[in-house]
Amino acid sequence: MSLLHLLGASRRALAAGRERVVGINRRNLALVYPNNPRHHYPYADDKLLAKECFARAGVPTPETLAVCDGLFAVTGVVEALRGKGRFVVKPANGSGGGGILVVGDWDEGAGGWHQAGGRLVTPLQLQRHLADIVFGVHSNQLEDRAFVERRVVADPLFAALWPDGLCDVRIITLRRVPVMSMIRVPTAESGGKANLHQGGLGIAVDLATGRTSRAVHRGRAVEAHPESGARLVGLQVPRWDEVLEVARRTAGSVPLGYLGIDVVLDAERGPLVLEINARPGLEIQNVNALGLGPAVARAEGRAG
Amino acid sequence: MQLTHSHKVGLTLLALVAAALGLMGWKVRRLGYSFADVLPVTQYEVTYAFDFDGHGGDVRVRSFLPSSDARQAVSDERDQASGMHLTQAMDGPNRVATWTGSEVPDGARIRHTFKVLPHRIAFTIPADLQVPDAYPPSVVPFLRPEKEIQVDSPEIAAMLARLGADRGTVLERLQRIYDATHALPVRPFKGTTDALTALRLGEASCNGKSRLFVALARAGGLPARLVGGLIMDRGAKRTSHQWVEAWVAGHWVPFCPTNGHFAELPERYLSLYYGDETLLRHSNDLNFAYQYETRTALVPSPKAKASFTMFDVWGLFDRLKLPFTLLRTILMLPIGALVVVLFRNVVGMPTFGTFLPALLAAAAGSTGALYGVGAIGVVVGTVALARWGLQRLELLHSPTLAILLAAVVFSLIAITMLAERTGIQPLTQVTLFPIAVLAICAERFYLSLTEHGAKAAGQELAGTLLVMLACYAVMNSLALQVLVIGFPEVIFLVIAADIYLGRWVGMRLSEYRRFRALLLEEKR
Repeated sequence: MSLLHLLGASRRALAAGRERVVGINRRNLALVYPNNPRHHYPYADDKLLAKECFARAGVPTPETLAVCDGLFAVTGVVEALRGKGRFVVKPANGSGGGGILVVGDWDEGAGGWHQAGGRLVTPLQLQRHLADIVFGVHSNQLEDRAFVERRVVADPLFAALWPDGLCDVRIITLRRVPVMSMIRVPTAESGGKANLHQGGLGIAVDLATGRTSRAVHRGRAVEAHPESGARLVGLQVPRWDEVLEVARRTAGSVPLGYLGIDVVLDAERGPLVLEINARPGLEIQNVNALGLGPAVARAEGRAG
Repeated sequence: MQLTHSHKVGLTLLALVAAALGLMGWKVRRLGYSFADVLPVTQYEVTYAFDFDGHGGDVRVRSFLPSSDARQAVSDERDQASGMHLTQAMDGPNRVATWTGSEVPDGARIRHTFKVLPHRIAFTIPADLQVPDAYPPSVVPFLRPEKEIQVDSPEIAAMLARLGADRGTVLERLQRIYDATHALPVRPFKGTTDALTALRLGEASCNGKSRLFVALARAGGLPARLVGGLIMDRGAKRTSHQWVEAWVAGHWVPFCPTNGHFAELPERYLSLYYGDETLLRHSNDLNFAYQYETRTALVPSPKAKASFTMFDVWGLFDRLKLPFTLLRTILMLPIGALVVVLFRNVVGMPTFGTFLPALLAAAAGSTGALYGVGAIGVVVGTVALARWGLQRLELLHSPTLAILLAAVVFSLIAITMLAERTGIQPLTQVTLFPIAVLAICAERFYLSLTEHGAKAAGQELAGTLLVMLACYAVMNSLALQVLVIGFPEVIFLVIAADIYLGRWVGMRLSEYRRFRALLLEEKR
């Protein structure tokens, strides 16, 4: 084959590649803007508002223990939580995992909650954290609401991948049709957060079967978790049909057509929806080694 | 994944482009606008730098200053002389400047500076133009002999006859005289060479050639005069220059036999005086050092200012006493913003905010790009440090920002003081930076630092500065600035480009790297 042929071939391959791979410009113009009207963004950005929609549509979520919607409510919430344990405090409009406080069991003797790593959170610290959230410290806005959720007990499969944090399944849906999915696993490097750009790990999950096919960490294909050593490829996600069904129901519960849905698997309750994202990231393509283009086209065909 | 409303977008684009091109065409055809006037012209700043040690007595320094005429526009003249008094007088066409001082001590100095906007001229002498029988009385003196221009010398007459310059048309005579004087070998004589000496030696410097030219022309019945001045090369020089003018059909037509200019004069020639004069004279017994310093700068063409009058934003700013730089900054912002859009959506370069780089570039107009980047670096570093310290106090957002603003002010004043101490003049202008823009930039840097880590924050800062430099290069293009002032409808084209990019679904350059494995992989 001549050099010209080779160049022509790689040019054609690149052109085909450009059709397959969706970049930010195309995602915004062709997927986000037509399917997610801006005035409906609060359904994705405000986790409490989203939870209300989920509840109405029968989408399972972690149980809400308390909502703190103003400075006046802070002390009441802290008193209600005293003596209880294993919960998570979140800002309703947080982003990138900021402002999330995870606590373990209540220790009456020490007068606080134990945290991973042996630290203790006192009621005063919790009070201050809630006040920060209410003042919008973690949400780039003037005020926010805080809410307290029961901690998810991870399914053994996920607990094995990363015991210190929570792995979730990210499912992209277009008009209620699942398009692509992956598991996001935190690493020590990512500070316990599952976000891929912060050093988290992505595992491709086959939509039809729920089996993991490949894993990517920092842009490189890996077979095992770089820190825990857990095997990542060839796993079967339990209750996969339920996960997909929950994703479909979630997508139908809000007036947003293109979503990234974050599902966790609770050991007892099964799939629970944590949150939804109206502008899901594109790294899922690298994790799956698949462009979103053909997958979206198929989904468009199915969604009609 | 098809986009909707494509026809609306297409029609809008078409309307914008048609409106812009239509307005431009109308202005050029009907209002006499010219795209050539958009190009900036070179303005020269000339300084007479005289330094001398006085002897405690009276001192006189005499020179010539330029006048504005059709070929050169002189402006912004200023005089700084220690202990010397400047008087000016007209002597015929010449502006004579005399600096006088009494009891002048050692280390006296004169700095006289002016700006010149010259342009090249060229004349075409009609081939059939005959030497007239009589001249107007004002021109007649330029046919007479002078002390060093020996018109009536037999040697001059003989040379004239030998050249054949005593007969034929005006053009033929001038051409022969010019050819003969131009052909003389150049020799850098010190001092003056009269016409006869030049003739006898067969070689001469500029003043010898010019005197010989004038003597031959006058002997041949053509009025001619010496012109003295400077060739404005950037830097400092001590040599002045002489050339000639011949009176042809009512015009003084220039010739430079030394550098080979026939009936034309290049832009760089500055005329200072007419006649056989000396550019610089001074009292004796002075340890006198002198040089002529030339700097150049690009400025908008005066023709653009005169002809781009439809909306006359220029005049508006003049009347309101607002600086031209402000006008440029405002008008160039949409173009700077387009540059940012290109970098963000086509290149995929991370920056702080969408328009921060354009705003920073506008702000750096007063300091220059590199000092601007340096100042931003210092301010951002200081503020990030302050923010890091404040983090431990766990303050609320707004008071934190207020404190960061104070940090910006402190670092700006520190930079200004440092710039003044070290004599970096452009950097002293740093306080003209909009403080809020700097504070936002610093705050973004810190947020990125805490949320995405040092690497990402550094990349974003580097991206911001790089895009700022690109914006600076585009926004500070004088030609573009004048284009936008003369043809504000260019902004329609900018908007059209924004619309096009707003509908552009292509991959960003950075995404080719990000998805490189996916892009070249065989279809699965």
